[in-house]
Amino acid sequence: MRASRALLGLFCLLICAYLLAPILVVVGASFNAGAFLTFPPRGLSLRWFAAFLNNQVFIDAIVHSLWLALAATAISGVIGVAAALYYARFAARGKEAVRVAILLPLLLPEVLTAMALLFFFYAIGVGTRLGLGMIVGHVLITLPFVFLNVVTALHGFDANWDLAARSLGANPWTSFRRITLPLIKPGVINGCLFAFIISFDTFGISYLLKDVGGATLPLQLFDYLRFNFTPEAAAVSTMSIGMALIVVVATEKLVGLKIERF
Amino acid sequence: MTAHTMRSPSRPLLLIAPAAVLIGVFLILPYLNIVVMSLREPATTTPYGSGFSTAGYAKFFADFYYVGALLQTLWIGLLSTLVCFVLGFPLAMQIVRATSRWRALLYGIVLSPLLVGIVVRSYGWTILLGNNGVINRALLDLGLMQTPLPLMYNSFGIVVALSHVFLPFMVLPIMGALQAIDPALEDAARSLGASPRRVFRRVVLPLALPGIQSGAILVFVLAVSAYVTPVLIGGMRIKTMAVIVVETLIDQFQWPLGSALALILSATATLAVVLFMRLTRIRWK
Repeated sequence: MRASRALLGLFCLLICAYLLAPILVVVGASFNAGAFLTFPPRGLSLRWFAAFLNNQVFIDAIVHSLWLALAATAISGVIGVAAALYYARFAARGKEAVRVAILLPLLLPEVLTAMALLFFFYAIGVGTRLGLGMIVGHVLITLPFVFLNVVTALHGFDANWDLAARSLGANPWTSFRRITLPLIKPGVINGCLFAFIISFDTFGISYLLKDVGGATLPLQLFDYLRFNFTPEAAAVSTMSIGMALIVVVATEKLVGLKIERF
Repeated sequence: MTAHTMRSPSRPLLLIAPAAVLIGVFLILPYLNIVVMSLREPATTTPYGSGFSTAGYAKFFADFYYVGALLQTLWIGLLSTLVCFVLGFPLAMQIVRATSRWRALLYGIVLSPLLVGIVVRSYGWTILLGNNGVINRALLDLGLMQTPLPLMYNSFGIVVALSHVFLPFMVLPIMGALQAIDPALEDAARSLGASPRRVFRRVVLPLALPGIQSGAILVFVLAVSAYVTPVLIGGMRIKTMAVIVVETLIDQFQWPLGSALALILSATATLAVVLFMRLTRIRWK
């Protein structure tokens, strides 16, 4: 019995190594002093970070990714909170249908969703112009995360508080702003955090729907990796991992991180 | 705001309206449109013609290139699901049983891949698996091998990387199912004389089955439709259906054919999922 426990522990240790290895290797490779990707690095250096910071293509891509993620998070934040309020407070019949419909983008293959949107935006004559299809796609795939987190937060407190505020004369908007929103704030922040990271990292949607010159960071990185093997890509990756980490740690400090992915 | 609008029963519907429009207009309608697109006439100067034909579907069945790619894709999906299950189940059990400090750490490690973009993760695997990569370099330097092992540009590499990418989607549902099991059930079975192995097989495993099912379905569907990992790990040598679909859409600009291929992939994957659910139900009931 004890031996099998130890064996299970060892097996899990190996799995953890498997989970972390590719991420650690990328971070390690980014500090490589050599001209080619070697691991372990031949001497430490920040030269590839300097190279990437001087590469306008990557900088443009990061700026574009950040704007896109911000816009998508803001839009799906508003839509998601409203939908969650409806689901938790008002939906009676068809409640399950509402949930499934909003989670659909999470359940459907991303490449298929991207393809569907591509055809659709061409059919209505917009095409990939203005990145409109792109922003709609990003809102679609981030919406489930806001929704799930806010629904969980809404289940956590008594709807009567809201009713009390209303009976004391507050209109629905005031009661939402002064009672509901402060109480579900952690859920909203968690949901938006996930929305932001998902949008920042997503590939499939952006690949098919990008406007000319509208490459996001994952697209630029993918393009670069198909033909180059310098550690510059590792430096870019390390930076994007670092950014996600900062967002997560900041959220953890602010409201305490909860993960509702399903 | 007037008292009238406050009491109006249609007000709550305004809350769901934006989401309903978004999902209805920008998700369900476009998906239905894929079916229409797959039946469009092929054209040369535009992505699709104005008439209708079943040429896309005919092309799939006429060319073994496509049929072979579909089989290859399903095989890769199946293997990735199996690997995820073999790695994910013990990990989920360990997390559920661990003391709280270890649990938080393990949980963080399981979730860590989700915070790193799929391009970066696949890139990490190319550094590890390449002919000149970390693993091969170590084997050559230690003198264990004379020539590098073919770890990349084949289905082995794709399965290794895909299992990594999707492992959290297996672990989380299984964890959910395991956490819901009342420990008293295991104790009861033990006190009635069942061996630990028997308790596991007759109590824990059947109760965890819903979690295993949803994990397996998630991983299979994600693996079969994955694009980035097969491109970066498989290179030009090995092409899964998703890679061919995107090529047909973007490089060859043949939308009807691309749609037909995508629908055939989805239909087969759905069939596989239904079959899987049938099989697992019969075995355990």
